[in-house]
Amino acid sequence: MSATTLQSKAPGGACEAPEISGCCGAGVPVLALFAGAACWLVVAAVLALIASLKFHLPSFLASCPAMTYGRVHAAHFSVLAYGFAAPAAIGVTLWLLAKTGQTRLALPGGAFIATLLWNLGVLVGVGSILAGGATGFELFDFSQAGSTMLLLAYLVLALAGGLTFANRTERGNDAVQWFLLAALLWFPWIYTTAAGLLGCAPVRGVAQAAIAWWFANNFTFVWMGLIGIGTLFYFAAQFAGRPLHSRQLALFAFWVLVLFGSWAGIPDSAPLPAWLPALSAMGAFLSLVVMLAVAINLKKTVGQCLTRRPEPAAKFLGVGALALNFFILVRAVTSFTCISQITDLTWVGPALTQLWLYGFMMMVLSGAIYYIVPQLAGKEFCSPRAIKFQFWTMLAGIVLLVLPLLIGGVVQGEQWQNPNVATMDAVQATLPFLRVSTMGDLFILLGSVTLLLNLGGFFWKCCRACCAGSCAASSRTAGVRA
Amino acid sequence: MNSDTKQPVNSPSATTPIWLVMVFAVLFYGGLVYLDHHSGGFEPQVYAPYHSLAELEAAQPVSGAPNPFLIGQAVYNKPTCVSCHQATGAGTPGQFPPLAGSEWIAEPQPGRVIRIVLNGLQGPIEVKGQNFNNVMVPWKDVLSDEEIAAVLTYVRQNKEWGNTAPAVTPEQVKAVREKIKGRSQPFTPAELKTISPAD
Amino acid sequence: MNRGPVIFLGTLLAFALSFFAFVLFPQVQVGRQPLAAVLGAPDGTTYPAELPGQARQGAMIYQANGCAACHSQQVRQTGVNFKVMLAEAGTNTAAVLTAVMDANPKLDEAAARALLQNTPATVLPGLSDKKVADAAQKALKNAGAKAEIKVEPTGPDIARAWGARRTVAADYLFDSPVQLGAQRVGPDLANVGLRYPDANWQLVHLYNPQIYAAKSPMPPYKFLFHLHKVEAGAQPSPDALTLPAEFAPPAGYEVIPTDDARALVAYLLSRKAVAPVFDAPLSVAQAATPATNAVAGGTNAASATNAVAP
Repeated sequence: MSATTLQSKAPGGACEAPEISGCCGAGVPVLALFAGAACWLVVAAVLALIASLKFHLPSFLASCPAMTYGRVHAAHFSVLAYGFAAPAAIGVTLWLLAKTGQTRLALPGGAFIATLLWNLGVLVGVGSILAGGATGFELFDFSQAGSTMLLLAYLVLALAGGLTFANRTERGNDAVQWFLLAALLWFPWIYTTAAGLLGCAPVRGVAQAAIAWWFANNFTFVWMGLIGIGTLFYFAAQFAGRPLHSRQLALFAFWVLVLFGSWAGIPDSAPLPAWLPALSAMGAFLSLVVMLAVAINLKKTVGQCLTRRPEPAAKFLGVGALALNFFILVRAVTSFTCISQITDLTWVGPALTQLWLYGFMMMVLSGAIYYIVPQLAGKEFCSPRAIKFQFWTMLAGIVLLVLPLLIGGVVQGEQWQNPNVATMDAVQATLPFLRVSTMGDLFILLGSVTLLLNLGGFFWKCCRACCAGSCAASSRTAGVRA
Repeated sequence: MNSDTKQPVNSPSATTPIWLVMVFAVLFYGGLVYLDHHSGGFEPQVYAPYHSLAELEAAQPVSGAPNPFLIGQAVYNKPTCVSCHQATGAGTPGQFPPLAGSEWIAEPQPGRVIRIVLNGLQGPIEVKGQNFNNVMVPWKDVLSDEEIAAVLTYVRQNKEWGNTAPAVTPEQVKAVREKIKGRSQPFTPAELKTISPAD
Repeated sequence: MNRGPVIFLGTLLAFALSFFAFVLFPQVQVGRQPLAAVLGAPDGTTYPAELPGQARQGAMIYQANGCAACHSQQVRQTGVNFKVMLAEAGTNTAAVLTAVMDANPKLDEAAARALLQNTPATVLPGLSDKKVADAAQKALKNAGAKAEIKVEPTGPDIARAWGARRTVAADYLFDSPVQLGAQRVGPDLANVGLRYPDANWQLVHLYNPQIYAAKSPMPPYKFLFHLHKVEAGAQPSPDALTLPAEFAPPAGYEVIPTDDARALVAYLLSRKAVAPVFDAPLSVAQAATPATNAVAGGTNAASATNAVAP
């Protein structure tokens, strides 16, 4: 897309926060969500790097309790999921709901305040983890204060999304809306379940672990998956300039994802009655259908457009789609008992989580951000080369992070499986892979800093334009609708 | 390159390919077969690698004679001995002597320790180089021969405490009980020293 | 068409299914589970024991520092073996000899005779089929010998001596939050209280793991200890860690564990999950070497077993 076509259709400068009631103000919450997410992504990448460096030098920052590996590790995943992926995904959802419904974001003021509250919640939550107040459940590690703020903020944001949907004037293209609305509903259900049964009135024993696994899978795979796949469908049609290949196929993927994808996530080795991991494995197998349905739909929609030189945003989304397929495939394979005996309780787990959060979510959301932000603000990013740089660094980072961890995980599993290998040898065997993955963390940090600078530079440009007075006149016609 | 006012409405939309539906059906069926094999009948007590409750029941060890060590442990913690000698067998410094590593416990013949448990103990005693002077209550009216034998076995064979003395049988306790039938006084360590442990 | 309600109901249905299967049903089956009975122990012996206070505090230190990021607390089991043991040969040597050789055709007569001399001895090791073991046991009994079947869980974790059997829900009934861990950067800790029962070892290891394993990637947890200046002429504190010279603090100082370190060690020492229970059977005698006491660690007995004296 060129700057001129954009500006002719979406002029304005959605930059003045106080002007929330104005039509350009409707984009402010979305931009704020993206800005917060970009900041947290850098924080997450820094935390990941610190954690990774501990495998080079165990005594690195060891005298500081807040920088203990266990705390930094938990903080990294929490920041990545709740600081970056979740708010960026909510931002994309809000924008897409307004866009597909041909309406304007409802409750922009409330949504903006909720965004602030969300980021405050993440800050409180991360602070509590680093101070030693983690709950001990992966991806549900925030203290009660933090998670309550997140829930409140989410409810307001979801209300804004729901009202936006209710106000829609255009009733087409509903496959995307199915995914987004289901996601809006899914999060509070799973989050309140986890908060109630893990936080407020904890259940006994490993029932906690079952619920924590169930929550982590529903939060990442189902909730983020719904938004990510919906986003992919929307942009595939958008970039191809024609409708989604098959609405029915999209809904097929939707139903399999919510009905069976929500079963996955309990590892085979879990000390739970045998039927729970078995049922979970069935969910992981059936997720393969989601993979096939999404892949076919995207391929058939984009079709020969693949040969055209893609836009920067499209490249991000393409990598995201590949990562989604890879994730589902690897997880289905590692659900079989004979393979999970090796891969369970190894780096394969963190590799898959990071494949999902970085490979799928970060790429899809970055692509969406690069498309949406100029539309909302009516300006182009200063430097297309910076976007390109970010794409390649992030791609290199994901490959260098996920592949060594996957391979290292298999090696680690093989070593632990062999009782003749001494403990220290088994521990040592994975270290080279972990050290390579530090390179991946470094590249991702570079990419995330680029995203932050890019967005920062963009807002700076935008605000300067506003101050020059060009905003006032054009803002009347701009907005989410643009 | 594209209109961003409105996305084209998906009017003539393709249907789901039939082969994908069949893939789903095959995976679903395969999943059910997997579940049938691995779910253990949805029983709460069946964990991998067991496949069914019947298999788990067959794998239960045949309950032979009750294990005196475990009985002794239960007696020790009733609470009886544990109140003074602690669950670690370490006793309380200056007050109650340790059982873990005690030379009194380590005697190959249990005659003296059986007497201590039956009638109690009074007076100064040296254990592991430390001196104690306190009263131990008699247990002869509280614990049966079997229980005393079991608890002494637990104490004397407790490897975690570093004790490896032979087990004590109810018959040995019974024999000692007979010998000291009329006596109600607690023993003193000095007096015990005069009695042969084998007696 | 008004799609909102349809999407809402469809999503709710899918959520409800998932919720029933993975939240409600496990809670009914596992969360409300009563304490387990210990096999081979007198009636009424229940498992597990509530954690003693110091260990409970230690669990919070374990949780706060994310120890579960590198250490799992779950033992896996891939199978179970049945071993036929000849406990006593009895008087009818000829018949028992035949029964032994019938049961295990690999034994020649000399080997079988030797076996009869050295009871208790293994007649048939590692049978995966209980029925074969039962038949052999019956034949030996009919010949007038005393034979028993030992139930031995198998698997790489068990071969590594990380536990005598797999861990089951009962092992975690008093753990909150449950710290199963997802990762084995380091060894499993489900039975660390049995494997390293020495509190001082644990303290020194936490202070600097490289003291015991030079190549260990585990970071030192020196913030759980404080340096204390020994006054001139004063006795060194009995609590001070005994450290090798190259790791020792500067002269005139000693390393004293904080309450947090002691609590964490008490928690680690409380990690014992080998009591034989119905869900994960094993023969008690097999556990006898370290595990009989582990059973002790498990039953209500041992609540205080692991108190780490200040």
